[in-house]
Amino acid sequence: MSNTAGLVIPCKAAVSWEAGKPLVIQQVEVAPPQAMEVRVKIKYTSLCHTDLYFWEAKGQTPLFPRIFGHEAAGIIESVGEGVSDLQVGDHVLPVFTGECGDCAHCKSQESNMCDLLRINTDRGVMLSDGKSRFSINGNPINHFLGTSTFSEYTVVHSGCLAKVNPLAPLDKICILSCGVSTGLGATLNVAKPKKGSSVAIFGLGAVGLAAAEGARIAGASRIIGIDLSPKRFDEAKKFGVTEFVNPKEHDRPVQQVIAEMTNGGVDRSVECTGNVNVMVSAFECVHDGWGVAVLVGVPNKDAVFMTKPINLLNERTLKGTFFGNYKPRTDLPSVVDMYMNKKLELDKFITHRLSFSEINKAFEYMVKGEGLRCIISMED
Amino acid sequence: MSSTTGQVIRCKAAVAWEAGRPLVIEEVEVAPPQKMEVRLKILFTSLCHTDLYFWEAKAQNSVFPRILGHEAAGIVESVGEGVTELAPGDHVLPVFTGECKQCAHCKSEESNMCTLLRINTERGVMLNDEQSRFSINGKPIYHFVGTSTFSEYTVVHVGCLAKINPLAPLDKVCILSCGISTGLGATLNVAKPTKGSSVAVFGLGAVGLAAAEGARLAGASRIIGVDLNSSRFEEAKKFGVSEFVNPKDYNKPVQEVIAEMTDGGVDRSVECTGNINAMISAFECVHDGWGVAVLVGVPHKDAVFKTHPMNVLNERTLKGTFFGNYKPRSDLPSVVEMYMNKELQLEKFITHEVPFAEINKAFDLMLKGEGLRCIIRMD
Repeated sequence: MSNTAGLVIPCKAAVSWEAGKPLVIQQVEVAPPQAMEVRVKIKYTSLCHTDLYFWEAKGQTPLFPRIFGHEAAGIIESVGEGVSDLQVGDHVLPVFTGECGDCAHCKSQESNMCDLLRINTDRGVMLSDGKSRFSINGNPINHFLGTSTFSEYTVVHSGCLAKVNPLAPLDKICILSCGVSTGLGATLNVAKPKKGSSVAIFGLGAVGLAAAEGARIAGASRIIGIDLSPKRFDEAKKFGVTEFVNPKEHDRPVQQVIAEMTNGGVDRSVECTGNVNVMVSAFECVHDGWGVAVLVGVPNKDAVFMTKPINLLNERTLKGTFFGNYKPRTDLPSVVDMYMNKKLELDKFITHRLSFSEINKAFEYMVKGEGLRCIISMED
Repeated sequence: MSSTTGQVIRCKAAVAWEAGRPLVIEEVEVAPPQKMEVRLKILFTSLCHTDLYFWEAKAQNSVFPRILGHEAAGIVESVGEGVTELAPGDHVLPVFTGECKQCAHCKSEESNMCTLLRINTERGVMLNDEQSRFSINGKPIYHFVGTSTFSEYTVVHVGCLAKINPLAPLDKVCILSCGISTGLGATLNVAKPTKGSSVAVFGLGAVGLAAAEGARLAGASRIIGVDLNSSRFEEAKKFGVSEFVNPKDYNKPVQEVIAEMTDGGVDRSVECTGNINAMISAFECVHDGWGVAVLVGVPHKDAVFKTHPMNVLNERTLKGTFFGNYKPRSDLPSVVEMYMNKELQLEKFITHEVPFAEINKAFDLMLKGEGLRCIIRMD
């Protein structure tokens, strides 16, 4: 691999030229990494809802042409000037949010919202020079979330790469670089249910099921799954979900239903839909005195969270999380280790596999609501 | 004292006959304690805003005639059947919320909202037989939050009494049975600021100043006091408040002002006004990534807390507390010890003192917004 160091690499990428239109696999040129950057050969990538959302570009200023993708695993091809903690051949997970190590957030024990490398959905270029490393015939193609993993090679800021155990199978752990860690961390790092406690999970997509997996690992005795789609219930049992509530089947607010099932409320709840009414329900369904609700799903711009103050004064706690409160570089390697130690199960999240040339099928599955995670293999 | 055991005691009490009318010192009859109850002699009591609120009885179904009062210190006179943990002569703080030690809340490490003895502002009788222990000429006078401390003697459920160090001066520690502990605990037990951190306290009345005192004890490096009344700022310095913000001085939301002063937001905030807009500001002024806001003040019934969900998703925490999250029986004795060890300062909260006969002066002072705590001497 090192014989390409310092050179432009021509390779295949799935380019999105227009909102909502199928991606086109074509040759792009990937420039070498600049200072503090790393060029990574992507081995496996998966589709996450955030890619879909910005590909559809319904609500926001569209930025095209663009290379999407932010859930992936790869191997370092070359490093730019100043990169000392990563080297050629390292196995890495690129992450859509980074860890510079210097700012107040990175130094805080709690926060993972790095001032420098925090998620930025509007930016399509690299920080160091405000330019893209991708081009087609000299015309730039925009980056996405600093990752752009729907490409055989990509260039990423070194602060956005988690170096992982080289024995970990990249086709499994790639899903840890976004959705699964988001849900898992929401439970393990933020909600922190005690052994034997009760947990309600709102939304049984990949993120919600990862949150349920976290509750299973923590030893929760009851994991109540709430979703409007009853066909999700069967799958959810594999993730430890023991009981199900479909709000459509009840004529009273779901928080009341849950409170009745649990003698006043659950110990913890994790909200993974992004629907603001569900967020309010997730908060109000936790027990007074000790309940904690954690919001994960991102709502639309105009959403307003509302509740009666007495619900707070009665000693309920409301928290929100971002990427499961994991610091990408510091914490992700140990999440990979949890998988290697067989504490965390990942295979059950993977419902489909495709080759890179079939990447548009992954979008179709997600648009139809089929499956959980589809692994895209970059090599045939 | 034991000569009165089992007998009705005739003594003085300040009776509220009607909403908003001055209390009348009357002779009342105080029945002996029944099962799981304790009769105590009140030595000192103080007025707290909650007494005033239910005396004014503007919004709710009022219960009159009533003996108010819930911040006090006294000595046990006699105990009812089944009471083993207290004996005549014990020094106690009666508390408006209790600890049965059996329910899920009491067994929880975190909660202090006892299912049996949780605060009940509507009840005017004892749980055991749903009758009052106070009467005048055979007619019942109603209890208030299970304490009714504006009386020389009162009867309280044993679960609502904290047994404290008999060396602690009762004329000082009486204020720990409500307001001061509420504010102090909001900071020490719930907000938990780390040494060197920044804390914003909204509302610089007694509860807010107690919250500031908690921040001082925790070693906060900056304690920012927020109040609409600038005349409160000078007093607040004694409680560790180092900077002041009067929202009226700015034409932008106070959370923005605070964020600018603190590089993005304070580490912790404690809201002690009960004003719904202040509650929202208190939440939105904490730093993303790690900030925690704690709500203490109780708002009116129709208030709605509103914020953009992003403020929560950006890793801010919102908590609420009740009585500083202190379990009355388990935790208050150690708060008294904090005072005895000279860590916690109480004298600075006490700005006035009146004899029992002049109890209405305490109401006047509070209505005028004067002072912090007025001690009422029962002798």
